[in-house]
Amino acid sequence: MKRLNSERLKKLHLKMARFMEVRHEDTTTPGEPRYPIHLLICGGTACHASKSLEIEQRLKSEIAERKLQDKVTLIETGCNGFCAQGPVMVIYPAGIFYQYLNPDDVGEIIEQHILKGYPVERLMYRDPGTGEVISRMKDIPFFSRQQSRVLRNRGLIAAEKIEEYIGTMGYQAALKALTEMTPHDIIAEVKISGLRGRGGAGFPTGMKWEFTARSQGDVKYVLCNADEGDPGAFMDRSVLEADPHAVLEGMIIAARAIGAHQGYIYCRAEYPLAVKRLNIAINQSRQCGLLGNNILASGFNFDIEIYRGAGAFVCGEETALMTSIEGKRGTPRPRPPFPAVQGLWKKPTVLNNVETLASIPQIILNGGGWYAGLGTLRSKGTKIFALTGDINNVGLVEVPMGMPLGGIIHDIGRGIPNKKKFKAVQLGGPSGGCIPVQHLNTPVDYESIMRLGAIVGSGGMIVMDDSKCMVDVARFFMEFCMEESCGKCTPCRVGTQKMLEVLTRICDGEGREDDIETLERWAKIIQNAALCGLGQTAPNPVLSTLRYFRHEYEAHIREKRCPAVVCSNLFKSPCQHACPIGMDIPAYIALVRADRLEDAYRVLLKTNPFPGICGRVCDHICETKCRRSTLDEPVNIKYLKRFITDNAARPPVKRVSITQKERIAVVGAGPAGLTAARNLVLKGYGVTVFEALPEAGGMLRWGIPEYRLPRNILRGEIKDILDLGVEISLNTRVGMDISWNDIEKEFQAVFLAAGAQKSARLGVEGEDLEGVYGAVEYLREFNLGNRPTTGNRVAIIGGGNSAIDAARSALRLGAKEVVILYRRLRADMPAQDEEIKAAEEEGVKIHYLVSPLKFEGQNGRVKQVICQKMILGDFDAGGRREPIPIANEEFILEVDLVLPATGQALDLDFAKPGIDLTKRGFIKIVDGTKTRTSSDMIFAGGDAVRGPDTVVGAIAAGHRAAREIELALRQGKTESPYTTVTEEGLDIPGTVEEDIREMLRLSMPEADIAERVGDFREVELGFSRQEALTESTRCLRCDIEAE
Amino acid sequence: MKAKSDYDSRWSNEQEFTAEELSTVDAIIERYRSKSGSLIPVLEDVQETLGYLPKSIQRKIASGLGLPFSEVYGVVTFYSFFTMVPRGKHTVKCCLGTACYVRGGKKILEKLSGTLGIEPGETTADRLFSLETVRCLGACGLAPVITADDETFRHVKPTKVVELLKDYE
Repeated sequence: MKRLNSERLKKLHLKMARFMEVRHEDTTTPGEPRYPIHLLICGGTACHASKSLEIEQRLKSEIAERKLQDKVTLIETGCNGFCAQGPVMVIYPAGIFYQYLNPDDVGEIIEQHILKGYPVERLMYRDPGTGEVISRMKDIPFFSRQQSRVLRNRGLIAAEKIEEYIGTMGYQAALKALTEMTPHDIIAEVKISGLRGRGGAGFPTGMKWEFTARSQGDVKYVLCNADEGDPGAFMDRSVLEADPHAVLEGMIIAARAIGAHQGYIYCRAEYPLAVKRLNIAINQSRQCGLLGNNILASGFNFDIEIYRGAGAFVCGEETALMTSIEGKRGTPRPRPPFPAVQGLWKKPTVLNNVETLASIPQIILNGGGWYAGLGTLRSKGTKIFALTGDINNVGLVEVPMGMPLGGIIHDIGRGIPNKKKFKAVQLGGPSGGCIPVQHLNTPVDYESIMRLGAIVGSGGMIVMDDSKCMVDVARFFMEFCMEESCGKCTPCRVGTQKMLEVLTRICDGEGREDDIETLERWAKIIQNAALCGLGQTAPNPVLSTLRYFRHEYEAHIREKRCPAVVCSNLFKSPCQHACPIGMDIPAYIALVRADRLEDAYRVLLKTNPFPGICGRVCDHICETKCRRSTLDEPVNIKYLKRFITDNAARPPVKRVSITQKERIAVVGAGPAGLTAARNLVLKGYGVTVFEALPEAGGMLRWGIPEYRLPRNILRGEIKDILDLGVEISLNTRVGMDISWNDIEKEFQAVFLAAGAQKSARLGVEGEDLEGVYGAVEYLREFNLGNRPTTGNRVAIIGGGNSAIDAARSALRLGAKEVVILYRRLRADMPAQDEEIKAAEEEGVKIHYLVSPLKFEGQNGRVKQVICQKMILGDFDAGGRREPIPIANEEFILEVDLVLPATGQALDLDFAKPGIDLTKRGFIKIVDGTKTRTSSDMIFAGGDAVRGPDTVVGAIAAGHRAAREIELALRQGKTESPYTTVTEEGLDIPGTVEEDIREMLRLSMPEADIAERVGDFREVELGFSRQEALTESTRCLRCDIEAE
Repeated sequence: MKAKSDYDSRWSNEQEFTAEELSTVDAIIERYRSKSGSLIPVLEDVQETLGYLPKSIQRKIASGLGLPFSEVYGVVTFYSFFTMVPRGKHTVKCCLGTACYVRGGKKILEKLSGTLGIEPGETTADRLFSLETVRCLGACGLAPVITADDETFRHVKPTKVVELLKDYE
């Protein structure tokens, strides 16, 4: 290549631009191949790791064999920034995007796409939410919603050919800066742009250059910080691998601005491909006269050398980096003096981040005003974020500063995979903080993020779902900082170590009550006293997680519990730890495997008085934490529990004699009330349950339909409790049939477990028409033996379990068309997945993004629903998008019956007069207790306290209430609480599967769909003996510690 | 934590290097001698040639560059890339960067450690494997990631680790 001057540079640009023109053509007609074709295959580190080089080889040989060299050009680009889908390739014209490529796909691509003009659909991108196939890169939301400025050449130019960079206006900014502008002009333009350092500190770049320009001296340096050490950040790597010349050009301009003639790029050794590409770029630039003496015949001299790091995170710090180049241990220096005055080798030095430097050429070409046209008042321009972790679209995202955080995560990242929920996003790596769900509307700019206790930092954005423990995350970052601490200053060297000790103790179950206060105190000291940014920001993740997730720390310290079931020193089996009542799951599964079903039943009853019921209706949190899912799928714990209760004889029940003086009243014979009653009767107390309805069971009897929970199962388990000696008074409404005065006279303690059996009102006009009937009340009417009028067309409003129960019941009661109107999307529906699926299989139709605007009737009876179409707007505090009505987008639905199921309330008739209630109308629990209310010796739990919850949640509440009641009664008499007689232990078999092979979970056989919708027969049929045995072998026995 | 001295003493019988290897070291020193602050590139090049940097070689470099031995030792022990004990025939690196950690990196490391019988930073007695942890290979989209020599393995599962290692003999 010849040395370039202004004229030759511009000529080369025009020539290359024409050659690369096809890469901007975005239309094509299937079946009519147009040539030339450019194949742009990604050659970034991640795609290399996914065997992209092999694909390249195959393509090269196919092209040669078929003699297509004149028509088809293969180009290896740098990192495309969409690494999880790699290897990726884009084909022009049309810009068809292919992902997850395999060397074996090459043949089809050549045959179908290149020769015949039919792009290969199976290799295209599929939207994770809708499943839609999107063929062109520019149409994929991940790319189309970005503003690629620094990443403008992503996937578009050859990584190792300077000509292609020149073809995109490369080095014209340097030409302009060297021949048409003074250093003062350059600095002025950069100041107008408002560009702030993109490495993390966010210092105004123009100001930094100005300080350095002012310093006296002939020898000055320009340094590029390519030591991208933040875990989770790879934007600099991508720029270096894809567009290294942008960085070189930026350095040339910086050198001109400050008066330097030597530059260094400090690149971390963990990026060998980036180092390689930089070397190639520098050599090519030198050959073309774009580096070295007399650049572009301007008379200006500047050369660049590469300096490799050696694996020290602290060397990303400005002064530590310089010390490292000087051949020493990378420890930082106190400032002042600042590098602008005394930097590398004590000479004035400008140090800028890769992304910052890569922004400079465009600022010079298009003007600072252009750059400042995007962004916010104090945070101008665009920023590249590395979106990683629990997110559907993993990759590099460049957007204007000020874009709402939720927009990046949901619109570009397309949300959380595997149906999990968003918990927090870590911004800024080990120096940053975690932002929780309630702040998803926050604009991402330097100031707004700092106010939330995090930093934008280098741009790392690590999304975490609800399976992550925030205490563990804080510990992880502290460990990182401690290991990377250079050791020079005491606050960092010792401080990070001490803080890590405390965090580790907390995660190991040895947390102490004053630990949180200690962490906060030390954090402030370290922030104030550490010598450099590493130490000063090391406490940030701890402070940030304490700010938003304090309850997790408290659960670890006070209850030795890890709510996310991550800190494995607190438990053996995650399933047992996740279960609200701590059922010994591995034990009973082992007993199923050993065919000892009676013993398995005894294990169930140790913690759960309603195992047969739970085996049918539990929301099985245990399965969401099952470790088997890391291999294939979780174990079918719920179905195995049901198998035990269906096939083993229930242990006989004997009446328990009363040995205590005190008598306890329970209001409500639901699962919470009956569990508490059972526990107390077993301890020798006299217990009477008051139930307003004709039969016991609560929502189990009056809510959940029979096709999910057969009545004989329910009655059997209730009878076993009553047979212990619990007295029950049916058809007795407390507050009406018996007064609170009488209750308080006769009983020494009361457990208020009346549930939440009133439907919440919708607040919609026409709600009081006949035929608009709360779903809960509808189900109760039917369960009481009355057949409520159903008609042919039924609309249910809501997306929870009650809505699904009502829908499937309406079908069975004769409705021809059953429709669910839900105001958000399917992923937001609270109902259990298997219930929604069963409903759809039975013919229930679900309309999403619809809300009822008005009910209209005739002669006092509802006839139609005016339905409003919704669109999802900003995030609410729960992290779900708030539905907003779309003006003038309505439609009419003709109905005979409407069943709102959007919420449930406590029937306040059951609340004792004067008792404290929460804002939402439930019973308020005294702080520091689990079940005490504002009324002395009145305890409460279950749905009456928390609103509609699960059966197992109610059972847990019953256990807690019984414990607190007993404690209160015994302590009142200054006696120690009665200790349980330990039952004889069961010997649990210790067989572990030697050879673990992948085997998907068995599915539950179900009644035939067409037949079952005619009646209320049980839909799920239960496992056979062989199926149960097979499924039980899938358990990995996490409770057994390996030798 | 296991006493480091137990492990280090295994390698304290300082190896004799061949004359050829030593002259390569001399050449490297010569190439960089005139440049200031070149200690780190020298150490990098020497380690690439010899595989590790025992004290004897450090002394040689110190004298060649006119630096105190303590300064060279200080730099070698500061940067995680430098090692004073030989690396195994195959180096297995487990990424523990945040994204990999969030996707189960810790469990992978435990499985590797257990299977090979060494802690990160150590080499197996038969010099077949060295185990290291890395902070972020920049392949976060493929988390959790481990590398064995030049090959990168993505979306690794703990149950597949033993199988993976069998290919390296």
